Amino acid sequence: MNEFEPKIVAFVCNWCTYAGADLTGTSRIKYAQNVKIIRFPCTGRIDFMLLLKAFSEGADGIIVSGCHPNDCHYTSGNFHARRRWITFRGLLDLLGIDVRRIQYSWVSAAEGAKWADIVNTTVTNISELGPYADYAKVANYLEKEANL
Amino acid sequence: MSKIGVFICHCGENISATVDVEKVAEVAGTLDGVEYSTHYKYMCSDPGQSLIKQTIKEKGLTGVVVAACSPRMHEPTFRKACAEAGLNPYLCEMANLREHCSWVHEKSDATTQKASDIVRTLVEKVKHNKPLQSIKVPITKKALVIGGGIAGIQASLDIANAGHQVVLVEKDPSIGGHMSQLSETFPTLDCSQCILTPRMVEVAQHPNITMMTYSELEKLEGSIGNFKATIRKKAKSVDEKMCTGCGLCTTKCPNKKIPSEFNTGLGTRTAIYVPFPQAVPNKPVIDKANCTYYQKGKCKICEKTCPTGAICFDQEDEFVELEVGAIVVATGFNVMETSEFAEYGYGKYKDVINGLQFERLASASGPTLGEIRRPSDGKIPEKIVFIACAGSRDPAKGKPYCSKICCMYTAKHAMLYQHKVHGGHSYVFYMDIRAAGKNYDEFTRRAIVEDEVNYIRGRVSRVYEENGKLIVKGVDTLLNAKPVEIEADMVVLATAGVANPGSEELAQRMHISYDAYNFFSEAHPKLKPVETNTVGIFLAGACQAPKDIPETVSQASGAAAKVAILFSQDELSRDPAIAVVNRCAPPLFSTCVGCFMCATACPYNAIGEELIKNRNGEVIKRVAKVNPGLCQGCGTCVAFCRSKSIDIDGYTNEQMYSEVMALLNND
Amino acid sequence: MKELIAKAAGLLESNTVQVVIGYGQGSADRSRAIFITQPSDCEQLIFDSRCIQNLAVYLTKAEIKKMGKPAIVASIPVLRSIVQLAAENQLTNDSLVVLGVSPESQLVEFESLAAIESYLESHKIEIDEKYRKIIEDIKAKPVAERFAYWVKELEPCFKCYACRAACPLCYCTRCTVENNQPQWISVGSHPLGNLEWHIMRAMHLAGRCTDCEACYTACPMSIPIHLLTKSMLQDVNENFGSYGSSISKPNSLSSFNPDDKESFIR
Repeated sequence: MNEFEPKIVAFVCNWCTYAGADLTGTSRIKYAQNVKIIRFPCTGRIDFMLLLKAFSEGADGIIVSGCHPNDCHYTSGNFHARRRWITFRGLLDLLGIDVRRIQYSWVSAAEGAKWADIVNTTVTNISELGPYADYAKVANYLEKEANL
Repeated sequence: MSKIGVFICHCGENISATVDVEKVAEVAGTLDGVEYSTHYKYMCSDPGQSLIKQTIKEKGLTGVVVAACSPRMHEPTFRKACAEAGLNPYLCEMANLREHCSWVHEKSDATTQKASDIVRTLVEKVKHNKPLQSIKVPITKKALVIGGGIAGIQASLDIANAGHQVVLVEKDPSIGGHMSQLSETFPTLDCSQCILTPRMVEVAQHPNITMMTYSELEKLEGSIGNFKATIRKKAKSVDEKMCTGCGLCTTKCPNKKIPSEFNTGLGTRTAIYVPFPQAVPNKPVIDKANCTYYQKGKCKICEKTCPTGAICFDQEDEFVELEVGAIVVATGFNVMETSEFAEYGYGKYKDVINGLQFERLASASGPTLGEIRRPSDGKIPEKIVFIACAGSRDPAKGKPYCSKICCMYTAKHAMLYQHKVHGGHSYVFYMDIRAAGKNYDEFTRRAIVEDEVNYIRGRVSRVYEENGKLIVKGVDTLLNAKPVEIEADMVVLATAGVANPGSEELAQRMHISYDAYNFFSEAHPKLKPVETNTVGIFLAGACQAPKDIPETVSQASGAAAKVAILFSQDELSRDPAIAVVNRCAPPLFSTCVGCFMCATACPYNAIGEELIKNRNGEVIKRVAKVNPGLCQGCGTCVAFCRSKSIDIDGYTNEQMYSEVMALLNND
Repeated sequence: MKELIAKAAGLLESNTVQVVIGYGQGSADRSRAIFITQPSDCEQLIFDSRCIQNLAVYLTKAEIKKMGKPAIVASIPVLRSIVQLAAENQLTNDSLVVLGVSPESQLVEFESLAAIESYLESHKIEIDEKYRKIIEDIKAKPVAERFAYWVKELEPCFKCYACRAACPLCYCTRCTVENNQPQWISVGSHPLGNLEWHIMRAMHLAGRCTDCEACYTACPMSIPIHLLTKSMLQDVNENFGSYGSSISKPNSLSSFNPDDKESFIR
């Protein structure tokens, strides 16, 4: 019986995914509790350092979600974000930071059901992967030293 | 020192049924920096809002977090309440406990804990909020409309009737555009000029509209509310004030064989000419490239003929500077030439023409006075073939899109032919029949049923000339790809709608976006069809994408409404969540190093440069600067900046960092 | 070489430039960067296989800018950096004179920055097969092992930031690490601090790095940080079609193609 409840942070854009998550709420679709949302004006605003910070502060998984290509409220923010994610993911992969723990998605304001699905699938995946112990060990080096 | 007030809403039972709101309020009260924490049944109600206002005043709150429904619902409500209590509205944030928590989870300790976490996250964010003022930009209430076709005409009339000044700039000698070249319009078959010319006259006579024909946009500077446009008024060589429009000069000009643009090359005009009899203004211009005087220094017959001495050979191009608050781009479109079709003769067969040329033949005031006659020998064609989708929906020709109007005008052309040539045979080779508008399908049905136009579903692979006939080789896919060969007397290609030449340069001059086909881009394909990404510049008509007259008129009125909305305010008030490049003490002045990566990423061209100078006026540093009138607040620039020199109010680096930290740390 | 010295001296004599940045004899058997202000001192200029330091790094330093207009001895890696700096608005045609040195050690002169870019068309960046193999081998390890490998490789890093000082494209007057509101990168030389710094450095070089390896050469602990930048170069080229930016085209990361392909976004 898996007692582990992953902590997942979601970085979402205001115009599409945040609104989509609102729709999930108004539709009363139930989903797993482990995901907490941080609102950004656009996925283009999401700094890759924030994802690393999330991991170092104890997140086991991350969701990054925004408007579908061509639908960005600001026209091109999500195109820039996409290029940034492709590059960042490649780098993380080389370094051995588990990219399976980061779920990227396009969720529009009309896709309430999709948001619930993304959340549930991500929670299941991260539960299977377990807590992100490797990164936690690196992040909590001071505690580790103190325990010696 | 922070004094945050936290107000947890029950939202009736919507939140309190699954979240222990009292507990959340209690925990929030223990957070560092929270001065006051409470809960109430309906925060958005009058008593709820009064509670917030009172607390702000009594406790001297420096920030407010309302934990309730989604900010997309009530953020403006609570911000207004804070403003009324004297607290800057941007110091108020909302924590989403309803859509993102109580409505999507079951009642449990974990749900209450999540609600607490969400509240804590927003409290940490609010600690870093700064008071912001709405940005005010003044507005010049004068509009510039570029393009005098039906779109430009409609937009100008609407804006002028709303009480504002309009300057209408048109590059041809007369307004009217392509609609003035049409014979009859679908689906009603009314005479195009009959419905257009009254509007043209209205424009000319309207006290609020200044018409500048034979003019083009030379330069554009400034931003919404404050554009400065430079218009080049090309020299007409005719003094408009003296000219009475008698037309005597056009009858005496010896140069009579110049192909007429209005008649799509099927007719001729003189060097001093009025493009068509119903032109507005009905005053001639001299085509310098074809005028004997300008080319060879001899002639001047028009000058001798003119009874009022209106001919002015030494007239030069004039530059006019206009200050306008909004611009409507209505420059229209064009259609592909027959010369672009190798398979249909490269344009060398005189009797293979395009749709616009057919319009001129069918037009009562056209080169054949409305009779359908072959351009080669003037005979009336007994068999005529119409080829739809010539160039459209064809990635090989670089135009994968549908040109929208061709199915309708092809049916119209076939019907007009059948009406004018009794006993004639018409064939339409089509891929699909796209007749989606009001009364459109009934119209195309009429062509097939009443006028007996033969519709063949298939494409034409080749057209070539043999013994004075045009051999059309096509296929009928509904008869199992049976080859069809027709000996036609005339072939009309429904060629693809394309952007006008010079569209790319015009778009670049105005800093508006355009797509791969040089059609101008709308700000959002569904929700902002008449705006561009450049605030203050609007689109109307076929310059955005091929479309028919009803849609063009709708879009033009839509653009005019947007302009009227803009002009209904004295000042433009914009959301202050915009980007700012930092400035600091000398000698650094700013941590920005002037790499301008932010500028390349900005979708709105809102980032320019600033030269930081010393007291002697020498430039010390070149840094980026955000134009607050243009920035829309997406924050893409902030994520790109390597030195973290640009930040966005409302979603600053500090705010977002503290949210992440707070979300994951319970203690 | 004589041609280079003569040209450099001539530029100083005519006061077209006020300083010549080049390579000179260093201590022991090393070469070092030298900054010549007197025409007669140009004799000290050398150019041989020891001259691998990327001199373009000096073009953005305030101390050098104060000396006046520079002429710079530029081998292929330096030329690439110069083009990248120009693409980022740090250099203009009038701000320097470039004394190029071809792979055959011949002097190459350029009338403009655009001319350098054309010249570099025939000297494109190529990631050596040896490095491709190393990167491939690392990627073949299972995730946990890969992570452990890098944590270990980065362990000797003591945050001297020599890599940052040597890189010509690190010219920000205030680096992100120097930001403490908020503190993006943990500054200590511990596993987290090292990881965050090197990730950030590699990401900030995405689409900009010109593969000069100055960072690796400068690292006193010989940490293979150039593997990170080479991997970035490969990724950017494979995904977006080019290595660096150019004066005429925007940076790969700050531009986009609506049809960019990826397989991991749901």
